Amino acid sequence: MKSLIIESVSDSPYYPEVNFDANTGICELAGESYMEEAYKFYNPLLNWLKEFAIVRGNEVVLNIKLTYFNTNSSRLLLDMLDILKRSLDDGNKVTVNWFYEEDDPDVKEEVEDFEIETGLKINLKPL
Amino acid sequence: MFTEENLKNNVIFYYGPINIDMVSFMSNYIKQHVNASVAVLNKIYKVFIELTQNVSYYSANQYSDKRSFGSGVGWFKIDNFDDFFLIMTGNLIYKEHRPILQRNGEEINSLEEEELRDLKRKTRGLAAIKDIGAHIGLIQTGLITGNPLELSFSQGDSNHLIFTITAKVNKR
Repeated sequence: MKSLIIESVSDSPYYPEVNFDANTGICELAGESYMEEAYKFYNPLLNWLKEFAIVRGNEVVLNIKLTYFNTNSSRLLLDMLDILKRSLDDGNKVTVNWFYEEDDPDVKEEVEDFEIETGLKINLKPL
Repeated sequence: MFTEENLKNNVIFYYGPINIDMVSFMSNYIKQHVNASVAVLNKIYKVFIELTQNVSYYSANQYSDKRSFGSGVGWFKIDNFDDFFLIMTGNLIYKEHRPILQRNGEEINSLEEEELRDLKRKTRGLAAIKDIGAHIGLIQTGLITGNPLELSFSQGDSNHLIFTITAKVNKR
């Protein structure tokens, strides 16, 4: 299975940088996420994760380093975490690390909401 | 709209088509040029993007350019007062959309923080990925600011109303 890499583009900072490494299982999202029609951007990521983590049962470490995401993107991030919860329930290894800026007062509650919605443990780490 | 009184505390004002590139440019301008603490700027930034993207997607007046998605015409304004910032957006809506918008606004303003978080989780969980809607953006705005949202409707033309949202971000 090939890695999924999407590099950031300075003209469109509303797309995050993506590095889903098929060799190590380390999957990173970094930057900001508030593009139009977010599902078009996230669908390939969701399909990759389903194949890698559920169908093939590989271990995944998801590192989320988003300094901002809008509510539309948050719906797709929820889907991503749901896939990883399914993989965990199937007996596979999953780790989710959420990196945050210490000046952002809202991120801890955001992450707590994702934990409640998915039942997945998320590790909060300062950026 | 352009009276001296209205623009007295104004930091930014814009009227015209609002698409993703405009939102991106202006949100970064805010981060660079608005004088506030990083924590407050973070809140202004998030609220600004949520509210202006609602104008982009849901304004009844859509601007036709080479882009095919999200160039709603409307306005945004940021005012700076001693203790708070006001972030305002406005756009045309179809008259029949007023009841649902009004009901959503009243619901958001009636809830305590934990209830609002619960509503956000339920709304997000039920939303189709292609159409998450404006409601969750307003819920999120209420959560970020911790203040009631001010929604107002005034007469537009025979089919439309002018819909404005004002969000208040405290400086402390």
